[in-house]
Amino acid sequence: MKNSTKAAFACLAALAIAVGLAACGGSSDETNEATATGGVTRPADSPESASMGGKVPTIVIRNGEPVGGVKQLEYDAGDEIRFEVKSDVAEEVHVHGYDLMQDVPAGGTVSFDFPAEIEGIFEAELEGRKEQIAEITVNP
Amino acid sequence: MSFLPFAHALVARQDLPVPAWLFAWGASIVLIVSFFALSVAWRKPRFEEARWRPLGAGFARGLVSLPMQVLCGLVGVFLLGVAIYSGLRGTEAPDRNFALTFLYVTAWLGFPFFSALLGDVFRPFNPWRAVGRVAGTGFRAIAGQRPAHLSYPEKLGRWPAAIGLIAVVWLEVVYGSSGGVAVGLDPHAAATAALVYSGYTLAMMALFGTEVWCARGEVFSVYFGMFSQLGCFGVEDGRLGYRRPLAAAAHWATLPGSAAVVIASIATTSFDGAQEGAFKDAIESTFNWFADRGVDLTTSLRLTDTIFMLLCFAGIGLVYLLGVRGMRTIRGAPSLATLRIGFAHTLIPIALAYLVAHYFSLFVFQEQAQFTYLLSDPLGTAHTDLFGTASGGIDFRLISATTIWYVQVGALVVGHVLGLTLAHDRALVYWPNYREASRSQYWMLAVMVAFTCFGLYLLSVSNG
Repeated sequence: MKNSTKAAFACLAALAIAVGLAACGGSSDETNEATATGGVTRPADSPESASMGGKVPTIVIRNGEPVGGVKQLEYDAGDEIRFEVKSDVAEEVHVHGYDLMQDVPAGGTVSFDFPAEIEGIFEAELEGRKEQIAEITVNP
Repeated sequence: MSFLPFAHALVARQDLPVPAWLFAWGASIVLIVSFFALSVAWRKPRFEEARWRPLGAGFARGLVSLPMQVLCGLVGVFLLGVAIYSGLRGTEAPDRNFALTFLYVTAWLGFPFFSALLGDVFRPFNPWRAVGRVAGTGFRAIAGQRPAHLSYPEKLGRWPAAIGLIAVVWLEVVYGSSGGVAVGLDPHAAATAALVYSGYTLAMMALFGTEVWCARGEVFSVYFGMFSQLGCFGVEDGRLGYRRPLAAAAHWATLPGSAAVVIASIATTSFDGAQEGAFKDAIESTFNWFADRGVDLTTSLRLTDTIFMLLCFAGIGLVYLLGVRGMRTIRGAPSLATLRIGFAHTLIPIALAYLVAHYFSLFVFQEQAQFTYLLSDPLGTAHTDLFGTASGGIDFRLISATTIWYVQVGALVVGHVLGLTLAHDRALVYWPNYREASRSQYWMLAVMVAFTCFGLYLLSVSNG
């Protein structure tokens, strides 16, 4: 090999290692975070985490829209997915992927309770209005 | 404002973002493998000749015989007819109507996947080509002469197909997503678009000739045909034969606009992957900017998405041109125009990798619907059960989230390495000196690594 080629390869190798390290280094905090939230116990400062404590999260529907925007709910596979929908309009709540439907009367509340057995990200919506009310994430 | 809806009409389940550690591994492997791919002794071009060999068996002859062509053409026309009819007369629920899943998943995603493995499997089923050929034969029989076609403006090359490709994806992911009200493209709109496209295609075939238009302007022929260049079977002089995988791609990009087709493919897939993740904030602020100026919400969203989709096309085109421009700095380099055409085919495996990474899970899940309830109840009436599978459904447990991650990252890594190999191979043609060829490819390596890291990045933030 000519010297210039060698030098170029050396540069490339250095680049490869640098990017590799940077990627690993950059990811280590996130990995720690991921294990922290991915475990059974969750930090108390993630209010959107659904399996926190014993309180069942409630999605409040006012005028056919979720109060505070689309609710983010996150679980690990095998958890129990529990949440309630309190609505001021009569609607049908549809959890996609799991394909669960429940009617809620105007002013009433329905509760969902099912095992998190399908991994992925799913939307829950008010079927009649096509209004998304929750995004349910199930991590492996 | 956070009510931007899902873009897809069909998606009941979205993929989880690829975790950071897998992202890091993917990126590292890409760099290391690329490094070795360049440094191993690959000193002579190997993909310039496809080494096509005819398959002699009666089965191979039967596959490309005239009765088979007629049968395949009929199947193609029939399926397009079913899709249009279902779209126009069936339910408005996108996920219960045969039309959307068939057009946008089974055909639009299925043909690239299978073409890349086997060869041009779309060509015999192409419904417009079948109609065009019958019309041409009919004309000859009645008029006693060949139809007098206009000569196609060769400068246009494949540009009509590149623009059409953007339009097809635009219809689904931009037009279809309509400002927090409805979810996705409705079957009526898809069927109407298919009818309009059929009219346009047949008119163009009548003007320029069926095969001329199929090779240049017919979106689906050009797009699926592009992936088929990677496949290992090809037809030459009416005979089916085996060829070296990937090798047919080496001479695909000779028509003008070919680079635009493959860049359009990467760009539209990127946009679709990025709009709910990497670009989400930028899209929302642009959307709000339009909305604050009194533009109605649906128009605001469509305008915003259109702008970002075109930006993707411009951005990816620019990265490619930069890589090509860089090669000009190596002594003995051919002209910029030659290089631009000469390396376009090396992006085909990247385009395929992006498709697999973004749509593999959608394809696996949605095809279960295609072959169960959508097949038995194409109109979604809930009263029809043609094949007894109407009560079937999608089992989302069929592949786990971790499997999907590995397929996504694996596709990007493999696609990138194949692209790099094709590029290195082509460089050896322009720079017979192996060292100069290798040096010219540091530029292409930078382009490919940029595409792969961008692809991995999109997957790792697939949801905002």
